[in-house]
Amino acid sequence: MTPFHILQVAPEVIDRVPGAYAHFVLPFCVGIVFCICWLGVGLVRVLANLSSSDRKALLLSLINPKTLWKDIKDIFCDCLLHLKIWQRKPLLGYMHSAIAFGWFLIIILGHLEVWLFAPRHLYLDNGALFYPIFYRYFIWVNPEHTTLRGSLFFFLMDLCLLYILSGIGLAIFKRFRSRLLGMKHTTKPSLMDRVALFSLWGIFPLRLLAESFTADLAGGSFLTLPANALLRFLFGNNLYYLPWWWAYSVCLGLFFVSLPFSRYMHILTEPLLILLRNAGIKVRHPRKGYAEAEIYACSSCGLCIDACPMNVQKKNLRFSSVYFIRFLRRHNEKKINRIADKCLQCGKCLALCPVGVDSPAIRRRQRAAYNDVLPFDYSPLKAPAPQGAVPGKVMYFAGCMSHLTPRIIKAVLEVFREAGEDFVFADENGGLCCGRPLLLAGKDRAAKTVIEANRKMIMESGCSTLVLSCPICLKVFKEEYKLQGIEVLHYTEYMDRLVAQERLTLKKGEGSYVYHDPCELGRGCGIYDAPRRLVGSVGELRKAEKEGDESVCCGGSLGSLTLSYEDRKKITAGALDNLLANHPDRIVTACPLCLKTFSDASSDVPVVDIAELVADSITRT
Amino acid sequence: MAKNIIVIGGGPAGLEASARLDALGYNVFLVEKETRLGGHLARWDRLFPEGVPAAPVLEKLVSGTGNTKVMLESEVLSLSRLGKSFRISLTSGVSVIADAVLMTTGFDLFDASKKEEYGYGIYDHVVTNADIEGYFRTGKDPRIGSPERIGLVHCVGSRDEKAGCRNCSKVCCATAVKQACELKAKFPSATVYCFYMDLRMFGRGYEDLYLKAQKEYGIRFIRGRVSEVSEKIDKTLQVKAEDTLSSTPLKVSLDLLVLMAGMRPSEAGAKVGKMIRLGTGDDGYFNTSDGFTGMQATSVPGLFVAGASTGPKTLPDTLSEARAASALIHEYLRES
Repeated sequence: MTPFHILQVAPEVIDRVPGAYAHFVLPFCVGIVFCICWLGVGLVRVLANLSSSDRKALLLSLINPKTLWKDIKDIFCDCLLHLKIWQRKPLLGYMHSAIAFGWFLIIILGHLEVWLFAPRHLYLDNGALFYPIFYRYFIWVNPEHTTLRGSLFFFLMDLCLLYILSGIGLAIFKRFRSRLLGMKHTTKPSLMDRVALFSLWGIFPLRLLAESFTADLAGGSFLTLPANALLRFLFGNNLYYLPWWWAYSVCLGLFFVSLPFSRYMHILTEPLLILLRNAGIKVRHPRKGYAEAEIYACSSCGLCIDACPMNVQKKNLRFSSVYFIRFLRRHNEKKINRIADKCLQCGKCLALCPVGVDSPAIRRRQRAAYNDVLPFDYSPLKAPAPQGAVPGKVMYFAGCMSHLTPRIIKAVLEVFREAGEDFVFADENGGLCCGRPLLLAGKDRAAKTVIEANRKMIMESGCSTLVLSCPICLKVFKEEYKLQGIEVLHYTEYMDRLVAQERLTLKKGEGSYVYHDPCELGRGCGIYDAPRRLVGSVGELRKAEKEGDESVCCGGSLGSLTLSYEDRKKITAGALDNLLANHPDRIVTACPLCLKTFSDASSDVPVVDIAELVADSITRT
Repeated sequence: MAKNIIVIGGGPAGLEASARLDALGYNVFLVEKETRLGGHLARWDRLFPEGVPAAPVLEKLVSGTGNTKVMLESEVLSLSRLGKSFRISLTSGVSVIADAVLMTTGFDLFDASKKEEYGYGIYDHVVTNADIEGYFRTGKDPRIGSPERIGLVHCVGSRDEKAGCRNCSKVCCATAVKQACELKAKFPSATVYCFYMDLRMFGRGYEDLYLKAQKEYGIRFIRGRVSEVSEKIDKTLQVKAEDTLSSTPLKVSLDLLVLMAGMRPSEAGAKVGKMIRLGTGDDGYFNTSDGFTGMQATSVPGLFVAGASTGPKTLPDTLSEARAASALIHEYLRES
């Protein structure tokens, strides 16, 4: 029951409808109640499908002030301000933040207004569910008593409305001209997407109209008052406002009813995903628990379509992450497996995803669903112990791919010798696979076997530093090996350090180079600067069209076992075009697989590995 | 007046076709980009299956060309249709109007350094089949020395989608077995291995060569692809392979590794083909008008093809095609 002392309303306003009800609020109420119920069920489903340890981690993260602060910060920056989109595409960022943050502000201001002027309507039995939304209908201004704070709210509400309307305007424009906002491809909306989309477009213009019709009675500011005057000029003094409030409510109701079945579900799911992610929860099942939160948090914006290296061929657009997620959401089993299999696991869709949906990981879970059950027997395989005493030394692990590109090994060993490093070559006479190709194929148990064998070999050696020449190995060594007390470095980091310590002096030559970021080194391990410093110290470093975390996969990736060579060739050609934008003399990379792939495909511009470049540029005294 | 025919490519197919067309009384112009005639045959020492020396065969082919106007060090600058004839201009400055054109542009050897895992161009003792022939011709190759353990790798750049070539190059199996025997004869104390996927000894006398290699020369045939090669400090080679007959991984140390580089469509030939819009298949070889009865004809009237420009072929196959093309050209020119 509403406490007696706040039965009154503020002197500035007239509580025109003390019963706080009108029929037109019904569509909105039905919509919002439906939406809240649906969300509640969804939330329970997600939580129920988490493992108990994950649930515990979530709970702990919510009482830990540090993660809680991060949660709040992330939700504010990502869900409301959309800073991630701002950074890449400012106009698109403005559009999102205008709608999300503007709407958020208008809700807050609306509630604040009710709390200040008619607090009794913030109680459920007095219309709390809808009152702040339709405040301008229920409350009229008292012309005898106008105050500054009243006008301030009128002004702020109009300002927010203008802010949102500018975003909606951009959104409508984008629907027809997506290229101008920086998107080449976008997704095709489904029926429910369209219902939600058109009602979203309608909500705020209708709100403007409804409020304009009542602005002379309920108050307004720079937007609604002139609109009201115009309407009076057009239709006379007796403005019939009820239909507009009905339309506004119907539009809202329609939006909330269609929301759970549309892409706009991401608005409500993203905060949950942020909480789960910050709690350190990882995807374990391709459809349930964390994955379900990710699936519904996908905004289907289609940024990943432009990001995907496969988009060089139109026919392969269908393998993009957004469609994978869409088919998962619809339980389209037939298509899911095929799409899960084609991905090269370059991780660019994840890097560019504004919501942070880790679809490469979901694809690996999907692959595991049918690959991890296959039998295997690795018992004859042993990780041979390195020859010579290792304790405290640097150990070099080349890995399978470097053994297939002997020029890298040759160059790395030369650099080691020139720097006078006392090192041991772990797999000189062959070793075991690092396990990442198996993980990529979803063969988790098999991967675990080789990882354990390698790990034992490394831990028993007692080395202090492990240098790797293959980023594919590096990623799995860093993420899965848990090599306590051993520093794991890519050779670009190691050589960069040698240069900084002046154990290696490089001579700057004439040539110009473009550096290709290997997926596993850049997006995979976040190593972008060390290789660039090395290249920059031996020659002129030119930029590629897209680089850093937007670099394009070379097409040779081990990520897919079924993508055809014809398709791969086209990806490689596209990646080469990207690299050669500024006409460098040579292409430099730091991954044996990229080196091999580009060397085969690049006929005019030679491709070299950073190790070769460094070995050739050492100033010998 | 005698009609003009241009033959592009002075390898065995071009030489044989020139000889036949010359004998039929045509004015033949033979265009060759190198400084000498003979194509790959000129680089070869002996021919499978019997090990006949290549030089006399080439000599016979060259001497047969009669009045053919041979234009060495000439590449095709442009080739276009002019009514029913063709106009061709060469880098040497010569222009010819011809009534028919025969493409005998042959093949390129696969660049073995592209299979980097085998270490060609990186390790000291890795050579190709062409290098071995050069060694037998000149007796000189610092990479060869006096090896005690020799390995030959079949299918380098053939039947290998990753290397961009799905087809079999047809001649390497027999070449490998021939060279294995020759190497064994040259270095009698050496152990010689052949790493093969499967042996395609399809021609007359090839199977006998294979038997002889096992019985008389003791060549060790290992069914399995070489996966990788590394070089030890003493410059010996460590080869990893799989013996698929015994299903065991295998590691051998070698002093010399010979890569059987396969056939790729000729790059220079492809350039000429593009000028006249001669179509190619996915494999890059020229399309013929059909695969059985029109192997020498193309979609362009008056333009004919012979030899390895339409796919890997043995020397006898190539020479037969050259003769077939000559007959077809004769028929075409008589009708027109």
